[in-house]
Amino acid sequence: MRLKRRHDAGAIIPTASMADIAFLLIVFFMVTITFEKDKTQVALPKTELRYEVPKEAAYISVTEGGQIRVTTGEEMSVPVDAEDVVTFAANLVTAFPGRPVVLKADDQVAYRNIDKVIDSLKQAKVELIYLLSEQKTVSAVGGGEGG
Amino acid sequence: MKIKVQPASDEIPTSSMADIAFLLIVYFMVTTTFAATRGLDFALPKDDDTPPIVEKEDAVLIEIQADGRLIIDQKPMELDEILEYLDPKLKNNPKKPVIIKPLPEAPYGMMVAVFDVLRQGKEILKLEKDINVSLPTQREIESFWF
Repeated sequence: MRLKRRHDAGAIIPTASMADIAFLLIVFFMVTITFEKDKTQVALPKTELRYEVPKEAAYISVTEGGQIRVTTGEEMSVPVDAEDVVTFAANLVTAFPGRPVVLKADDQVAYRNIDKVIDSLKQAKVELIYLLSEQKTVSAVGGGEGG
Repeated sequence: MKIKVQPASDEIPTSSMADIAFLLIVYFMVTTTFAATRGLDFALPKDDDTPPIVEKEDAVLIEIQADGRLIIDQKPMELDEILEYLDPKLKNNPKKPVIIKPLPEAPYGMMVAVFDVLRQGKEILKLEKDINVSLPTQREIESFWF
């Protein structure tokens, strides 16, 4: 019996579903993207314990040089003097009672800068602050990294 | 001469759809920044201009030097020795206050590291409550203790 010749396999990559996959990825990125209100670049301190910061929070960032930027969480952050943080915090407490303040400060900044900020927050009667941090990785053999 | 008229196609041209979609993906991937959204929470005490109930002598005082070294109750100590030192004191009095007092030039990161260790104290030392941590500001120290 004579066998029928097999058809040659086509050298075409099926790309019909490519657009579907791509659009699914776009939807994923659009849903997960969050526009940061404060884009200050700081080297955050590392901690083993870390709790999720509420989405609706005010941010105060302090760079290594001591520059301070603040935002209530509603608009982009603006630079302020250390003396003005208390006014910002008082306005925040009036406008958004109970809103926590996230302190995004550089690992190496001198504590006197942070002390002024915390003091201002206490005076303005802010109830809860978060010290923003990165995950500290624990080494395999005893203890963690030096802090 | 007779001009040949091509019949209009009733298909939507979708061949460039994938290219556009992938361009959008590249845009989102480039602009996405993975923001740090976690940290240590710290409830601030009410500032009511009254002296704190905590007496300095009753508490454990953790001083952080400008170079990051720790002095606990006048004794130099390492970060991983804090809980070991506090263990007998907290077994005696679980409400014993622990005061963190960084010097003005001390690195902020060290204060956070100490606070992180103290927050882990409840679990590591098997305490019923969190360690009573106090972080007085310079103004409070000058007003109430000196």
